[in-house]
Amino acid sequence: MFEFAIAGIEAPIFLLVLTGMTVGIVGGFIGVGGGYMVTPALIVFGFPGYMASGIDVTHIAGKSVVATIRHRQLGNIDWILGLAMVGGTMMGVEMGVRLLNLTKALGLSTIALLFGSVAIMIGLFIYTQIETHRSHKEIDKLTASGATVGRELKVSRIPHFFQSIALRPIIRCHTARIVVSMWVVVIIGVFTGVLAGFFGVGGGFIRVPALVYLVGASTHIAVGTDLLEIVVSGGYGALRQFMSGNVDMIAVFFMIIGAMVGAQFGSIATSFVRGPAIRYILSYSLGLATVGAFLRLVYMLTAQKYKVLNFAAVVFTLGEMIFLTLFILSLVLFAVRFRSGKWVPPWIPALVVQKDEE
Amino acid sequence: MAKESHHVRGTIKFVVWTAISVAVCVYFWAQYYNGNLMKQYYYKAKFAGWAVNAMTFDQATKDKPAALQIGSFEKIEGLQAVPIKKGDLLPANATGIIDEKTVKEGKRVALEGNTLKVMIPSQIKESKGFAFRDTFTHKGVETDPWGGAWAVGFILILGFCLGSMAEGFTDMIGMKISKIKHYEGVH
Repeated sequence: MFEFAIAGIEAPIFLLVLTGMTVGIVGGFIGVGGGYMVTPALIVFGFPGYMASGIDVTHIAGKSVVATIRHRQLGNIDWILGLAMVGGTMMGVEMGVRLLNLTKALGLSTIALLFGSVAIMIGLFIYTQIETHRSHKEIDKLTASGATVGRELKVSRIPHFFQSIALRPIIRCHTARIVVSMWVVVIIGVFTGVLAGFFGVGGGFIRVPALVYLVGASTHIAVGTDLLEIVVSGGYGALRQFMSGNVDMIAVFFMIIGAMVGAQFGSIATSFVRGPAIRYILSYSLGLATVGAFLRLVYMLTAQKYKVLNFAAVVFTLGEMIFLTLFILSLVLFAVRFRSGKWVPPWIPALVVQKDEE
Repeated sequence: MAKESHHVRGTIKFVVWTAISVAVCVYFWAQYYNGNLMKQYYYKAKFAGWAVNAMTFDQATKDKPAALQIGSFEKIEGLQAVPIKKGDLLPANATGIIDEKTVKEGKRVALEGNTLKVMIPSQIKESKGFAFRDTFTHKGVETDPWGGAWAVGFILILGFCLGSMAEGFTDMIGMKISKIKHYEGVH
C-alpha cells in the first residue's frame, strides 16, 4: 500500500499501474482516453470523486502524447480536422470544469459523475452496437459476393447530412478524405469538450463516434485524430483540474508508466483490424463501464448501506478492463493467424485485414 | 545495409530517449521527496481559520476527542493547529483548514483555551437527498497556479519522452510500422 498524501488515501501502486496499462491498450486501440473507465475505477479504489476526475484527465494528457506519436507513424491523424476542432474543445473543457466545481461545492461530485456517465454511455452503447452489427453483416455479404472491401465500411447515412451543410468556411481534410463545414467540427468540439471537462475524461468516448457518425471520418482516422485532440483538451483540462485542487501527481505518475506500455500495443493493434472491429470494442467498453458505474450509483443512492454493491462495482470495473484487453489481444492473435492462412472463427475475417489489403 | 542503418538509428534513438526518460522520472521523484509537490498543492488558505493535518485526527470521536495544540508552527507535527488568515501560505504538512464558523458552532470542533478539540473529524452529510462523507481534508486549500503549469508541462514532456523511447524500441527490434491506407467501402 502506498500513502497518497495529497488524495489522503492509501492504495496499492500495482492497481494504478495495471489500470494505466489496460486502459492504455484499450485507449490506444479505440482512440479514447479511457476516462469513463478510469474515473469510476479510481472512485472504487477510494479516491474522492473530484480527485478521481482530476487524476484521470491529467494522466490522459500524458498517455495521449504517447499514443499520438504512434498513430502519427501509422498515418491515422488528420491534422486539419484535429486543429479545426481544438478551439471548440478548449471552450467546452472550460465550461465542463466549471460545472464540475459547481457540483463539488454542492457535495455532489461523485453522484453527478456517475449518473452522467451512466446516461450517456447507455445511449452510445445501443447506437454503436446496432450500426456496427449492420456494417459487419454488410462486409460479410460483400466478401461472399467476391468484392474486395477496404479497411472501413459504415452503413450510417448521418455523415452525408452533416457534410451537406454548406456553412463557410468549408475545410478539406485530405487524410480523412472528407469535405465539411468548419462549424460542424467546432460545435462537436464544444459539446465533447464540456463532457471532457466535467467527467475528467478526454471526451474520446463521444468524439470518436461523433467523428465517425457525424463528420464521416473512417474509424482509424477518428481514433488517431481524437488522440491528438485529447492531448490539447486533456492538457487544458489537467491545468484547470490542478488549479481546482483535484490532482494527485503521484497517482498520475504511476498511471502514466503503465499507460505507456499499454498505449503502444493498443495503437499498433489498430493496423491489424478494420473499422467495425474498433467500433465493436468501443461499444462493448461503453456497455461494460455502464454496468460498473450503475452498481456504484445504486450503492451511493442507498446511503452506502449495501457493501456488496460496492464490491460488485469493483469486480465489474476491473473485470471490464481485463476483458477488453483480452478481446483486443485475441483480435490481434486471430488477425495474425488469418494472415498466415490458419483457422479462425467465422466472424473474424470481416473484422481483420489481410496484409495485401493494407 | 539500409536495414542495418535503420537498426542502428533505432538503437541510438532508444538509448537516448531512455536516458532522458529516466532523468525526467528522477527529477519528478526528487520533487516529491523534497516536498515541492505537497507545497504546490497545499499552497494558500482560501478562508480564515486553523490549518491542520486532518490525517492525524481521523480516528477522533465524541468520547475520545483529539486535542490540537494551537501555535504558530512552521511545520505541523501531529496534533497541532496554526491560526491562519485568508491568502496566507499554509504551513508544511497542513492538509486542510477548520474554519471559524465550524469552531463557533462547537458541534464538530470546540475551542478550549489554547486547544482545538476535534470531536467529529468526518460526518455523512446529505445534499439533495444524496449522502457524502464530509471531512476537513482539502477544505479551504488553494493550489499554486504555477504548480498547474508545471504539472501539465511535466506530464506532456514525460509522455513525449516515453512515446519516443517506445518508438526507438520498435525501430531497434526491427518492427516495421508502415502507414495505413484508408479505403472506405468496396475497391
